[in-house]
Amino acid sequence: MQALLTTWKLTAVAFAIAFVLGVLITVMRVSPLKPLRFFGDFYVQIFRNIPGACLLIILVYAFPYLDIIWSYFTCVLIAASLIPAAFCSEYLMTGINAIPVGQIEAARSIGMTFAQMIRKIVVPQALRSSVLPLTNLLVATMLTTALASQVPLRPADLTGLVAHINTHAVGGVTAFFISAMLYCATAVVIGQIGNLIDKKVRILR
Amino acid sequence: MSAYAAEGQVPVIELRHVDKHFGDLHVLKDICLSVQRGEVVVIIGPSGSGKSTLCRTINRMETIDAGEILIDGVPLPEEGKDLAKLRAQIGMVFQSFNLFAHMNILENVTLGPTDVLKRPRKEAREEAMQLLKRVGVESQAHKVPAQLSGGQQQRVAIARSLAMHPKAILFDEPTSALDPEMIGEVLEVMTELAQEGMTMLVVTHEMNFARRVADRVIFMDDGSIVEEGTPEAFFENPQTERARNFLNSIKNH
Ligand SMILES: Nc1ncnc2c1ncn2[C@@H]1O[C@H](COP(=O)(O)OP(=O)(O)OP(=O)(O)O)[C@@H](O)[C@H]1O
Ligand SMILES: [Mg+2]
Repeated sequence: MQALLTTWKLTAVAFAIAFVLGVLITVMRVSPLKPLRFFGDFYVQIFRNIPGACLLIILVYAFPYLDIIWSYFTCVLIAASLIPAAFCSEYLMTGINAIPVGQIEAARSIGMTFAQMIRKIVVPQALRSSVLPLTNLLVATMLTTALASQVPLRPADLTGLVAHINTHAVGGVTAFFISAMLYCATAVVIGQIGNLIDKKVRILR
Repeated sequence: MSAYAAEGQVPVIELRHVDKHFGDLHVLKDICLSVQRGEVVVIIGPSGSGKSTLCRTINRMETIDAGEILIDGVPLPEEGKDLAKLRAQIGMVFQSFNLFAHMNILENVTLGPTDVLKRPRKEAREEAMQLLKRVGVESQAHKVPAQLSGGQQQRVAIARSLAMHPKAILFDEPTSALDPEMIGEVLEVMTELAQEGMTMLVVTHEMNFARRVADRVIFMDDGSIVEEGTPEAFFENPQTERARNFLNSIKNH
């Protein structure tokens, strides 16, 4: 039970960070300032293409050589949020590209500044049209937190605990099976909530 | 030049020797044009002659290569906050309505007043409702744009412009995307606006509207102003071959 909670907690915090970071990166990618756009694109190219396990191992085992030592929890959290942030930004960019250019022109023509346009037109529309991909991303983030099993996290996350049982007791396969069911159940609930939200906020065109 | 200019009034909109290129294409050639307060100027001309581009340079949606554009005698700001402020003073109504799809009708109209003009929300809503009533869509205030007909959407777009209390409104083919039965309702709103003294620059193919409402007609072809005059003079007695050809070509369909 404790393990399931750890997984949920990791997922929630990681996704929240990923979401905020994803929005920021996306705003950079559409900003009129070239260095910001470059940084945003660069970030996405890096973190979209790096395996989670790889990033975690770097954080846990390589960073200490640079005298940077974080708790295992922090490391898992960072790995499980930097990567989804890149995907979050990709989904938001898709949503932004779906906004007809005419609406942006209309916003400019009533004298809105870039910041106002982002806040009132671009971000709200991009969010509303990316509810479903973001729901999937939340599930993916949860599955990424299974990375935590690779480092000695206390209390262990779901996969960590199961792996522990597997090596220290009989009935390991059953434990994996139960954990799979728990991941699945959580994902289904998340999916349903996502569908509900999507129905409510979807933009009629 | 209109009669007002002779009295020495400052035009609301003035273009002096404006030139613009898109790459190799010379879209605006030495355009000089002024629009006085309360004047309705209609621009007509064949497709690709630069009518939209001309409109869009006036609130600097497009930059220009040479010449000068003045609003109330003041040159257009380059960029940034000043430009945004200026745009707030010039309304623009587009062919494709361009209402904000995620907001309801009322929010579409109040966004500018509350966020750009910083007016109190309640006041902005009250005025927006009055404007929606004026253009005949007050019963749709809480729907979203996609639930309205094209004609209704365009009337909302006009209300959205009016809510900013603009010095002038630019219309770029406001009825071209509409089904024939909805064109009338939009032109009617525009006619009322003109009668109430709004300064308007209208690109349109609606010749009857031009005849009835325009103070002045401007004929553009190939990036230049070829001819300009009162509607009577222009339609009854066009001076140039190009204008005659154009008028014939639209009469024939
Ligand atoms: N952003 C752009 N980049 C390059 N060329 C452009 C651009 N916008 C317009 N043009 C070209 O400039 C010319 C004038 O275009 P403009 O839209 O001003 O014409 P128009 O008179 O409004 O025509 P229409 O009646 O079809 O709306 C056209 O040849 C068009 O293809
Ligand atoms: Mg045009």
